[in-house]
Amino acid sequence: MSTLAIRRPAVRSRRSSWAQRRDRRGLWFVVPFTLLFLAFLAAPLGYAAYESLFRDQLIGGRSYVGLANYHAALHDGTFWSGVWHVALFGAIQIPLMLAIAFFFAAIFDLGVARFGPFWRAIFFLPFAVPAVVASVMWNFLLEPSFGPFTHFAGFLGFPNTDFFSPGLIWPTIVVIVIWEWTGYNMIILYTALRSVPRSVVEAAVLDGASLFKVITRVKLPMVRPAIVMLVFLNVIGALQLFVEPQILGDFYPTAISNHFTPTIYIYNQGIAGQEYGIASATAVMLAIVIIFISASVLLLTRWRRHA
Amino acid sequence: MRRMTDRHSRLRDRIALGVVAVTAVALFTVGSTAAQPSRAGAACTKITFWAWVPGIDRAVKAFNQSHPSICVTLSDVGAGSPEYTKLTQALKAGSGAPDVAEVEYDELPSFELTKDVLDLTQYGVNSVKGTFVPWAWKQVSLGSGVYALPGDAGPMAFYYNSKALDQYKVKVPTTWAEFSSEALALHKAHPGVYLSNFSPTDLQLLMALMAQAGAWPFQYTGGSKVTIDWTGPKQTAFANFWQKLIDAHAVNPTTDVSTTQFANMDRGVDIGWTSSAWWPSYFAPDVKKTMGDWRASALPQWKAGEDIAANWGGSAYPVFKQSQHPKEATEFATWLNATMDSWNITKTAPSLLFPTFKPLLDSPSFKNFTVSVSGSSHPYEIFGAAASKAPIVEWPPFMTEALADAPTAFAPVQNGKETLAAAFKKFQDTLVSYAKSQGFDVSTGGTS
Repeated sequence: MSTLAIRRPAVRSRRSSWAQRRDRRGLWFVVPFTLLFLAFLAAPLGYAAYESLFRDQLIGGRSYVGLANYHAALHDGTFWSGVWHVALFGAIQIPLMLAIAFFFAAIFDLGVARFGPFWRAIFFLPFAVPAVVASVMWNFLLEPSFGPFTHFAGFLGFPNTDFFSPGLIWPTIVVIVIWEWTGYNMIILYTALRSVPRSVVEAAVLDGASLFKVITRVKLPMVRPAIVMLVFLNVIGALQLFVEPQILGDFYPTAISNHFTPTIYIYNQGIAGQEYGIASATAVMLAIVIIFISASVLLLTRWRRHA
Repeated sequence: MRRMTDRHSRLRDRIALGVVAVTAVALFTVGSTAAQPSRAGAACTKITFWAWVPGIDRAVKAFNQSHPSICVTLSDVGAGSPEYTKLTQALKAGSGAPDVAEVEYDELPSFELTKDVLDLTQYGVNSVKGTFVPWAWKQVSLGSGVYALPGDAGPMAFYYNSKALDQYKVKVPTTWAEFSSEALALHKAHPGVYLSNFSPTDLQLLMALMAQAGAWPFQYTGGSKVTIDWTGPKQTAFANFWQKLIDAHAVNPTTDVSTTQFANMDRGVDIGWTSSAWWPSYFAPDVKKTMGDWRASALPQWKAGEDIAANWGGSAYPVFKQSQHPKEATEFATWLNATMDSWNITKTAPSLLFPTFKPLLDSPSFKNFTVSVSGSSHPYEIFGAAASKAPIVEWPPFMTEALADAPTAFAPVQNGKETLAAAFKKFQDTLVSYAKSQGFDVSTGGTS
């Protein structure tokens, strides 16, 4: 809008008032989001923090206990073992998923796939499926007696595979989550790859770099900001793992304990145990843990870049 | 030129703002749940009713037609736990609870404890006391008060595939000792076949069997005192009995009322099931090969010649404190459970409720009732006999927590990683610590 600079000075007041009106109109567009944010994010967070200072008992009712709930949450071994489990889950699932996503993004970027937009839409489709629907669907696909995957495993020489047995339940959830989210990550990486300047790639090719080197040494470093953002988002998502195990637990109660992930533990404390005060305190504790871990991941990747 | 652009851009911006505002409002309203349709011109007392029994809307409709001064609206807000969650939250919030709701017998004490259900004796329910089997009336009473109308029950029997039992030459067991030896022998001769499944993660089934064995683990008669005993001699003996069968792989450790179990039963992997009267309505849709082969026989006894029944589940219908019309709500609940008009509807498919209502239980046509999976046999004769003899049990007021903890506590038993007795001890510790944190005065041991 550099043309504004050469407007005649005589209309300066009108321009500035028009510019002012433009700014204020922009604010109006933010109002719906702000209202929703306050109503559904800020207010519940505040209320949870408030609730966490109380304890509700079936006998004795409600009493103010200050930070006693936080003390209990800090010393709750079940909670921390849940945190450890989802951290481990994230440490395995996220690199695996990003590797797969980058692999396919690179292939699409190379343009070797015919009907690229069609295939990209197919890869992205699982993201459009709600997590609850996906979990129910995967439950039927992996059903121990009749599911198609169980038959297939038998065909490959592994009869009677129970995908929901204690040994296989975590790999199963890793597979489901990767299926759900790879498309989304891939689209973002593909877009980032598309914005890599062609001149840099051509220079590398002219210098005699192999295709593998071009992808890993030239393109990959240039999409690093996108990867850092995706790692950050995925870490938060992994630590908050809830829907997939909760739905699977409805079908196979023996596969999912009531403290399988921290969010499931908090949910059971609040809903089944009706211990809303302790559940709120544990939830605040979990939020602090998630902020800590995701901020660390962010700082670590930034540090490595500058190193 | 610029002035025209200015006016156009202002108009454009106003239109854009209007579109955004309308979209926001539309999204708000689309997301909200649909309101109940109001009855045009109705001057009747409005009663809200929450229940999940399939087909109970037929009974509600019949009531509305025969009682024009009362309009009952039915909502299915979920079966069991989802409904109890919504109930406790509405009661805590002070508004939004229904007038009447379906509450299983084991959950009623938790609502009695918080004084959220009304004592219905003030509305004359004692006049129908004699029409119900005594143990059911006792379940809904606390002291001299009656806090709900008893509804259905789940008297248990041993259900078996008669063709398979003949094929494997298995005798129908009349005592648990016979059950044990038959199960062990069957598995030895045919390793892929089981006499029954056993699913300790299903707490309601486990406790029904424990009640029959005289190993009931709770004592609670209201107030803040509760006894929790999962490790007494009777409880341990019960655990050891089943552990022997689990160790020998004589019972199939699959989760109860699941696709897997029903498929096993239809394919002949499980040739029996210790189940209750309401299971045909769950099992029938999954039966292909064994339609008509299933028979009922009395649940095995611990001592030969005894006749102690077991009851698995069943619901009662209380009226809540928040109700604006408790008298009409009681009238509806009483009609629903203490009249033949209502039972003639709810005893049929898809509801297939099994009554605690004596006039129906004793009627010959009821005893001759048939269900498709049992061919022409009369399973209700067996179930009916059991219905009047279930032991009287005392539920503690924290069954929601216990039911949520049970799958986690007993999963290792089903996976073969822990003995049932050890799981009982861990479950005991979990429940005791929960009860103590909730302010109860907990004692352990001493239950008969």
